[in-house]
Formats: sequence, structure tokens, C-alpha cells
Amino acid sequence: MNAVEKRISGRNGAVGAHLPYARSWRAAMLGVIAATALAGNAGATPLEASAESYRRYLMEDIGQSLKGTRALRERLVVADLDGAKRAWIEARVGWERSEVFTSGFVPELDEQIDAWPNASHGFHGIEVELFGANRTDVGEETDALIAHLADLHAQIENIPLAPQRLLNGVARLAFEVGGNKADGGESRLSGTSLNDMQSNVDGIELAYRVIFSDAIEASDPQLAGAAHTTIERMKATVRISDLRSLDSEKLRADSEELVALLQSAAPKIGLSKPTLEEGSQ
Amino acid sequence: MIGRRGLLVAATLFVLLLPRDATSFPIDGDQAVLPAGTELNEDARDVPREILHSEYRGDRTSYLVGLGDLAFNSPAILGDVARRANISCGTCHVNGASNAKLFVPGMSTRPGNFDTTGPLFNPKADNHVLDPIRIPSLRGARYLAPYGHDGRMASLRDFVRNVVVNEFAGPEPSTATLDALVAYIQEIDFLPNQKLGARGRLNESANEAERRGEALFSKPFPHDPNLSCAVCHQPAGAFVDHQQHDVGSNGLFKTPTLLNANFNAPYFHDGRYDDFGQVVDHFDRAFGLVLSAQDRADLIAYLRAVGDGRQPYDRDSVSVRFKEISTFSLLLAQAIGMRDREAIELAVDTLGGELRDLAEWFPDHRNPAVTGALTERRLARAALKDVVISLRRIAIAVAAGDFEAANIEYRTYYDLTFSRAMPLLRGTEPWSLFNPALREAHDAQRRQMLRTPAQAQR
Repeated sequence: MNAVEKRISGRNGAVGAHLPYARSWRAAMLGVIAATALAGNAGATPLEASAESYRRYLMEDIGQSLKGTRALRERLVVADLDGAKRAWIEARVGWERSEVFTSGFVPELDEQIDAWPNASHGFHGIEVELFGANRTDVGEETDALIAHLADLHAQIENIPLAPQRLLNGVARLAFEVGGNKADGGESRLSGTSLNDMQSNVDGIELAYRVIFSDAIEASDPQLAGAAHTTIERMKATVRISDLRSLDSEKLRADSEELVALLQSAAPKIGLSKPTLEEGSQ
Repeated sequence: MIGRRGLLVAATLFVLLLPRDATSFPIDGDQAVLPAGTELNEDARDVPREILHSEYRGDRTSYLVGLGDLAFNSPAILGDVARRANISCGTCHVNGASNAKLFVPGMSTRPGNFDTTGPLFNPKADNHVLDPIRIPSLRGARYLAPYGHDGRMASLRDFVRNVVVNEFAGPEPSTATLDALVAYIQEIDFLPNQKLGARGRLNESANEAERRGEALFSKPFPHDPNLSCAVCHQPAGAFVDHQQHDVGSNGLFKTPTLLNANFNAPYFHDGRYDDFGQVVDHFDRAFGLVLSAQDRADLIAYLRAVGDGRQPYDRDSVSVRFKEISTFSLLLAQAIGMRDREAIELAVDTLGGELRDLAEWFPDHRNPAVTGALTERRLARAALKDVVISLRRIAIAVAAGDFEAANIEYRTYYDLTFSRAMPLLRGTEPWSLFNPALREAHDAQRRQMLRTPAQAQR
């Protein structure tokens, strides 16, 4: 059982934890849909309801990132370099998993939090000092990061989660994961680009399963099966211990195949072909 | 390389950080495939201009040559390490020329040379000595047999196969791929030189110094009247004699051509010399030429005249990128028509990689160095990404044996590329990294980001 399955089937791996993914997943989804309906969103389409149910995971992931960044701040105060590095790495997990959402829905905050490659602020600005220069005097940048993440966390509570924009986000991130990492990737200085990619793929899987899987399954089971298989292959490809051993051709092919599948699936679930850059439609 | 400390910290992290799929990682590790400090010069603003013989004559390039061009620029034909590092033949021989700035720590002793028997790409071919050789230009290669810095191989085909299989640990190339690579390399012309006339003689445009240099070039050496520069560098024969000689540089080496040599620095088999001045001084010493300052200056002037070429570089731009995309697209269309699966795969791989790279020249909202025209930049990126996915659809159709679907998708690909992406990119070029000012700001900040701890603490 991977991280996403764990999250979906309950923190303690309760009911459904050992069932095959589709069954455990549907059981969880039915619960979510029922809960959403009871909460008064009965007018929403099933897809809108699923999109709404994604909010909880998003809150959790950004919450995790915020918590990690606060832990980083504490480590900085006592000039604990290794502890600060660990906290930075941990804070990235939830953030990278939420990229399905962040890049398209909140681009300004995305720039503040995750500017790249020329960053003097945000995660990578801090990474430069912490990992690149072994310095812990990044309190100010970390305070700003905490403020931005807290702002984001608050915004997520009320931001409308349109299925189309989420599909755009999944497709965009799927494409990005297949990008060339030969130069060491996005988090090169901390040596955690591979972790970013693993979290990205987790995030893709999470959003796909929570929001789109059932709808696609209902309209075109074969396509749903292909998407599921492709995501599984991507997970397997990034499940390595060293970025240098990444089979990037395979990952690229799968990432592009997943985007192609999502493009084909979109009209079948009442959505438009996803754009691969938010704001370009 | 992961240092011991890195491994230790990684082990600690392994225990501490397990909220998800567990994999270890070095805390300060450099996870790039190539050693830290590698310079591939991939971001060069000026790229060598390539002239293929067929284009020069005004003919269409053949399928074979197009396929060779594609293979030449595809990491897929080389071995594992090269593929993961995204290195192709074209990385060292940019557009069939050389790469004077390429430097790989542990494999190079100076920019522009490279140890083809080093440990990085094929440990089995490692001779345990750092003996890099100059990266040669392939312009005019068809006139320059034998091949290799010491002329070890008579056949270009044998030489190319050896580079692919032994130097870069690639799989045995198919007959078709090897034929195509050789056909392509044999098409790479010298840049035309307006100062040279018949039989490699300077024409009337030459100045006095160049003419004096030309005379000196054929003048018998004082201690060996059978020798002159022109005996080996025969002006009527592409300035080579197809022989190996000992000119006092530690061994027997093939006479290199002087045509287009202005753009082929560094010089000598190991790239030991930066310029013609140092080269002339070497021969002066080695052969006791007793050159006066005037002689030296005249010889250098002559070498510069002979080594010249028209428009040696193109400024990298959207147009330059689309020229190559257009060549490879035509090849892809032909390959689909011929149901040439190997060529289709190669085209999807190479074109897709180049289009993905091109998208990164149009940064998105996360890059603070670039401001303005954000919507247009996003449109340009989105258009390129759609092209990449369309290419993938072609590959998927071909993998399923459906060439009709591949053909239909190719039309979509073509429209997306040339009717949608190209105009968007051209219109947005001033707000992209093709703009030198933006590029400079971007590079400066990126260098700052990628400095190592040692550099940062200095």
C-alpha cells in the first residue's frame, strides 16, 4: 500500500486498507460523496462533489507543509543546520503533492512560495542558503514562507474547486514530471529533486483518484484502466533511490501518455480538453 | 558523487522521514548525472551554422541524411549514462562542428577536449589515463580520411560505430541507423570561404600580409628542404595529406585540415593550443624555422584567411529552432509513410525532447527574472506542450500498429506546430530567454543559485 492508498483508506489503515485499490477506493468515495451530499451540496454534479472532496486532502497537505516550515523556523532559531535541512525537506512533501492545485489556482502565491530557478525567496531561496551555503540565517525568508503558506491554507478553505481547473492541474503536472532532470532537477542543491518527483506523482494519483477516476470509469472503463496503469508505471519509475538511475525516457513517455489519456477522457466526463498551462485558455 | 557524510545523513533521514514511499537521498548530494562543474555549453547564444551539401546545391535532403541528422541528435542511440545525461553526438559536435567550451571534470583537461577512453560513459573502455583529445569539427569529414586524431580508422563507418558502441556504450546500431549517420556526416560541408580560389590558393581579395603568409607556407624549411607547411597541409587537397606525422607533440597524429579552422580551436590533437600564434610558435620551435616577427604575423594572417568561413554562427532564436524542427518533422512524415518504426520512435524522442526544452525558454510565472507578457508566455508554452502530446499520440498509434491513425495525428501535429506554436513563439520571443537582456538576468541569478557550498562561502 502506498502513501496515497494509506491516506485514502484511513490514517490507521482501517477498513479497506488491504482490499485492491479500486474497491477500497470506491468504498471511501461513496462515503465522501454521501457526506458531501449531506452537507448540503446536493445540487452539485458527481464530478463537482468529487472535486469538493479533494479539498480535505489539499488542506492536509498544505497543513503538513506549513507545519514543516514552522519546524524549520524553530531549527533556525537554535542554528541547528542539519535539523533545519531535515525540516525543509519534510516541508516540501505536502507542497509538492499539492502542485496539481497550486500552479494553476494560486500562481502569485506559487511564485512567492516556490519561485524557480532564480529564487531569492520561497523554498528554493532558502534552499540556496541552507544547502548551498550551509547557512542558517534565513529566518526572514522562512517567516515570509510561513506567512504565504498560512495565507494559502486559509484560502483553500473557500476557493471554488472547479473540476476543469483541477484536470488542467493534473495534466500540467503529469507533463512536468516527464521533464528532463539530467542537470539534477529542481531541488538540485538539496539533492531532493527525486523526492519532489515522487511527491508530484503521489499528488497526481491522489487528485486523479479522488476527483476523476470514478467518472472516467463510468464513461470509459478501458480508458480508466489505461490511465490507472500509466500512473502505476510512473510510480514504479520514480520508486528509486538515486535520481541518476532514473529511466527518464520511460518516465517521459508515460507522462505524455497520461496527458494524452486525460485529453481523451475530458469530453467523456463533460469537461474540455485540459490546457497544459493555466491561464492560457 | 555521494560523499560518506552524505550517506550517513541519508541513513539518518531514512529513519526520520517516512511518511511515504521510502527512499534514501543524500542531503548535500549532487544528483546530476554528469560530474559537478560540467559545462556542455548547451545554452550558447550563438550556434555553429550547419551547411549540408544537398541544401547547398539547392536540393532536398534525402531521407537517409535526415534520419542520420535525427540519430546524431538523439541520446537514444548512445548508452545508458549518455541517455540519462541527455548527451547525443550533437552535444560535442554542435550542428556537425565542434564544441570549444565543452568541459567534463575528470574527462577533460581544458574546455574543448574530452577523454573518449575515460570512466564515465563506458567503464569497459576506460584506459585509466586521463588522455583527452580535441573535439573535432566534422565539417568536410568526407574529405578527411583516415578517421580519429591519429588516423586509426580508414572507414568513417567503422569510426562512427566505434564511437557509439565503445566510447559511449550504446547498443549495436542497426544497419539503417549506421548508414544514416554516415550519410549525414558525409553531407556536412565546409563553410564557404570567399578568400579562397581554385586549388586552395588565396584569391584577389587577399591582403599583403596574407599573401606573404601564403608564400611562407610553401617555403622549404631551413633544415629540411623537402618539408614545408604546404607539404602536409596541401592547399589543393583540403589542406591535408591523409597521413600521420610526428611534429613534436608526443606521437604520430593525422594532419588536420586548416579549412574553417578559425572556428575549431583549441588546436593540436589534445587541444593544447588556444590560437594560431601558439601553433606557429610550436612549428617554429620544433622545426627550427627561425621566423621573424613579421613572418610569424604573416603566417597567422594566412592561417586566418584560410581558416575563415562565411557566417560561422547563427544567433540562437525561435527561427533557428524551427529550422531543425521542420527538418525533423519532414523526416517524421516520411517515416510514417514508410512505416519505419525505428525512425518514428527516434523522431518522437528527439523532437519531443527539443520541444520540451524550447518550452523552458518561455518561463512561466515561477521565474522572477522574466516579467511581462505572462499570458503570451503561457500560451506559447501550452502550444509547445500540446505539440509534444500530439507527437506522443503518433508514437502510441504506431506502437499499436495503426499507421493510418498516426498519419491523421501527424496532420494535427503539423498544424499545432507550424500554424499555432510557431507564430505564438515568434510573437513572444522578446519576452523569452532568447532576449539577451532577459537571458543575462536569468543566467546571473541561476549561477548564484547553483553555486556549491565552497563557492558560496568564499
